[in-house]
Amino acid sequence: MFDSFRTVTRQLVGGEDHRTSADSDDEIRTDGGVAESRRRTGSSGGVLKAVRDRFGEDFLESTPFWLPTFLLMSLFVYGSIGWNFLISLTDFEGFAQEPDYSNLDFEMYVQAVTSEAVQTAVVNTFALLVAFTVVCLAFGMVLAILVDRGIRFENTFRTIYLLPMSLSFVVTAQFWLWMYNPTNGIVNMFFGVFGLGPYDFIGNPNLVLAAVIFALVWQFSGYTMVVYLASLRAIPTEHYEAAQVDGASTVKMYWRVIVPQLKNATISASVVLMVFALKAFDFLYSLVGNFRPPNGSDILATKMVREAFQNQNWAYGSAIAVLLFALALAIIGPYLFHQYKHDNL
Amino acid sequence: MSTKTNKSTADRLFEVDYYRVALYGTLVVMLAFFLAPIETGIVTSFKTQTAVAETLPFLPAGGEGFTLSKWNTAIDVLSRGLLNSLAFAVPATLLSGLLGSITAYGLTLVNWRGQVAVLTLFVAGIFIPYQAVLVPLSKFWGVYVQLGKSLGFFWATTGISKDYAALIELTVTHVAYGLPMCTILFRSYYKSMSTEMMEAARLDGATLRKIYQRIVFPLSKPMFAVVFIYQFTQIWNDLLFALILVSSSSSPAAPIVLILSGLGSSMEGTDFALRMAGAFTAAIPTLIVYILFGDKFAKGVAS
Amino acid sequence: MADLTLDNVRKVFDDGGDDIVAVDDVSLDIEDGEFLVLVGPSGCGKSTTLRMIAGLESITAGEIRLGDRVINDVKSQHRDIAMVFQSYALYPHMTVRENMSFGLEESTDMPDSDIHSRVEDAGADLDIDELLDRKPGELSGGQQQRVALGRAIVRDPEVFLMDEPLSNLDAKLRAQMRTELQHLQEDLGVTTVYVTHDQTEAMTMGDRIAILDAGELQQVGTPLECYHQPANQFVAGFIGEPSMNFFDVERQGTRLIADGWESNTSFSYPLSEGTLDELGDTTDLTLGVRPEDIELRTEVEGDHAFETVVDVVEPMGNENAVHLQFDLEETHPDTFTATVGGMTSIDAGQPVVARFPEETVHIFDRHTGEALRNRELDSVETLETTI
Repeated sequence: MFDSFRTVTRQLVGGEDHRTSADSDDEIRTDGGVAESRRRTGSSGGVLKAVRDRFGEDFLESTPFWLPTFLLMSLFVYGSIGWNFLISLTDFEGFAQEPDYSNLDFEMYVQAVTSEAVQTAVVNTFALLVAFTVVCLAFGMVLAILVDRGIRFENTFRTIYLLPMSLSFVVTAQFWLWMYNPTNGIVNMFFGVFGLGPYDFIGNPNLVLAAVIFALVWQFSGYTMVVYLASLRAIPTEHYEAAQVDGASTVKMYWRVIVPQLKNATISASVVLMVFALKAFDFLYSLVGNFRPPNGSDILATKMVREAFQNQNWAYGSAIAVLLFALALAIIGPYLFHQYKHDNL
Repeated sequence: MSTKTNKSTADRLFEVDYYRVALYGTLVVMLAFFLAPIETGIVTSFKTQTAVAETLPFLPAGGEGFTLSKWNTAIDVLSRGLLNSLAFAVPATLLSGLLGSITAYGLTLVNWRGQVAVLTLFVAGIFIPYQAVLVPLSKFWGVYVQLGKSLGFFWATTGISKDYAALIELTVTHVAYGLPMCTILFRSYYKSMSTEMMEAARLDGATLRKIYQRIVFPLSKPMFAVVFIYQFTQIWNDLLFALILVSSSSSPAAPIVLILSGLGSSMEGTDFALRMAGAFTAAIPTLIVYILFGDKFAKGVAS
Repeated sequence: MADLTLDNVRKVFDDGGDDIVAVDDVSLDIEDGEFLVLVGPSGCGKSTTLRMIAGLESITAGEIRLGDRVINDVKSQHRDIAMVFQSYALYPHMTVRENMSFGLEESTDMPDSDIHSRVEDAGADLDIDELLDRKPGELSGGQQQRVALGRAIVRDPEVFLMDEPLSNLDAKLRAQMRTELQHLQEDLGVTTVYVTHDQTEAMTMGDRIAILDAGELQQVGTPLECYHQPANQFVAGFIGEPSMNFFDVERQGTRLIADGWESNTSFSYPLSEGTLDELGDTTDLTLGVRPEDIELRTEVEGDHAFETVVDVVEPMGNENAVHLQFDLEETHPDTFTATVGGMTSIDAGQPVVARFPEETVHIFDRHTGEALRNRELDSVETLETTI
């Protein structure tokens, strides 16, 4: 009663802005009326209120925490990807400061897709991705199972197996260059024991990709081991015991009971391994200290950087980058969607 | 009867032993596999040119063949890069870790709708092949935001060479691209924090900032260790951004990996001993971090 | 200090397009200094209601007032409300002292020395003054519970909210804390809303209890009111342990006949004039009788006694819970429960006569659940005076 009186006087005095009248509107409602009419959603007006209702009570207060970093990250990641796509539609090349955006077409893509060099790079990229991932997973799983057999000095073994991962591609490339060297390398000495070789692993276009994959497996199988080990530790001992009671042999037990339970670890490890494989650029560049990797090991990543930063074919390089991005998206997309669906983010 | 049991126990013992021997044998062979490239690298780095050619690659050279000169050269050539790398890797690590923690807090422990959408963009950011952003990135720093020019006053007054602008560019770039990973690592940690505790703090009258400052941040220490180690290793080891943002390995601001990638190759062939010494010089900081905090590194990569 | 008013408070959760009503137009008036217990089965909306009072959950409709102040849009930080959580929610990296000071530091400008003395006082009151410099991880569950309480007390808030604070304690400690909490609340005189699913806690602790089911308020009243004069069948069944026995019956003339018992006509319960008046025209009914009101005898005497067989006896020391069955042939295996003194010797399989005195029975509308007739209160009052 008193509230409505106040509202009336306010309206008589007039000139109050909308917000006040909206507020007093609420006050009147406190005196009674149907519950439905009291729904507060958007009742007290203002954009802020609407934003709050839409995103939740603490949305505005939370923005200082995540919005600036989100913008920074978005600018560099998504802004760049968009810009890169735009550049790929131009004919940008050479020493020009800025691309000419007036004439956009897919010429660079046509050029890229029909280029034999790009096709080879795509094949090599796939070969590297698949072979590296599969071998890494298999080898890492075996390592994890061995380390999980209740051994002594487990920590030491684990630490050393994982050690190569802490090294830069630039560093490991130097090591393997020496390992593979035809005159004095350990790998060739090893083959020499069996009367084979010597092979020029880096110089031979038929061997170089396998050699690179082997070196990458050396560097990252420790990682798969750690992932699998964590997953193995999560399997209750009862499963091992139950399998033993059922009379399964050790090999059978692992194959039928344990390995199937490592599915999730396999999926997440493969995704990460593929990301590592996409970064193999650093390794290939360091083998020769040059944009041109050893013959037979050119992948999309090296091709892209070479086209853009050595040959100044910016638009062409961007187009190759988009192809590489699409490839990565095809692999990562389903995984991310799966995680999103299962609320695992 | 009893002898029979004894025998079978002995059999089993023998079997178990046999199995353990095979297990440890395999593990040690694996150990050799993982250590071989590093071992041969170390011994080679102490050899003279002739010793490299004449001795076995995995055996250390004695007497005449032993030299420290390769290490001296490597450290001479790389010390500039070592400092440069530290100059951007340390601030970039600290910044991306801290910002990642704050971002993850705003996206995990504060309640609002639409967080998952924003988070998805962060997660996707982890998996982007950097080639897809390289051309814009180089144009952004090279043409649009020329720190060498825009901070001209700073370079002029401090007398520092403009080339060092590249270190700032590298810091910002690594922070921006490191944020997704840092945010997600912290998020996975914050998800396990008690929501009731956050609510208790709110009812205690704390603002969102105070809750972060007084409760979330102090409780994040273990995760900071993991994130810092992971980030430092990543940033230190990265070649691609260094290659794109720093014009050449002769630049005064060249990071160590950039100088290393061209080290030891000349007209006369490859100087492997120098390369090995250089590789170890460049690897020392990450090796130290790994040896001191290896378990945390494992934790970081496992999640 | 102030009274807390909930006026048609409603909470609707949006579950992917489907609206889920968690709290349905709940109105409550909690007086200054009152201890109100919100009780109900899990998922009834009691915690949501508490969280709306705390400001941790937005209010879909309706109004919450603290004194004269509408607090719907006031942030939790500014509501001057302290809450004790089920998990205690102590800050693990702070000492007990820091835990207890935190709220005062954040919500007031109080000088450090005042905060210090307040924390010391509260620590002494709660008998945790020895623990002030330890971290929560070093304390037992019971001690953590006290710290959580202490953290609320030092704030000297307008309202205490407690969300099942005793449920993580073992039975003995829980009983002890129950009394201690009551004393504490009486001493402090702070308006308190206490959420629990445990009807014993509700009965023993509250000045009044509010019973919620499926988001709707069923009844608000003193524990004894709710016990003896339940507003509906839900309340009657929820309050009391062992719970009230219910029989689906049909009124035929002046009698209640067991519904659906074709073969057995022995259950026929005559009603007096007064009771019949209360029932009106309703014929589909539920008869309710509390286990302790059932009298067990050796032979049928009067109209309200029935022949039964003992199914199971649960001895509890002070009393026996006797599960009885009407039907000897077990074609109708439903049992009902009576309690008798612990010293009464009674065995499974033994035939007994159960008498349901008319002044103690409750009768509910079977469809709406509404209580049409509750037990006569004369006997309750005499009982109270004789205790």
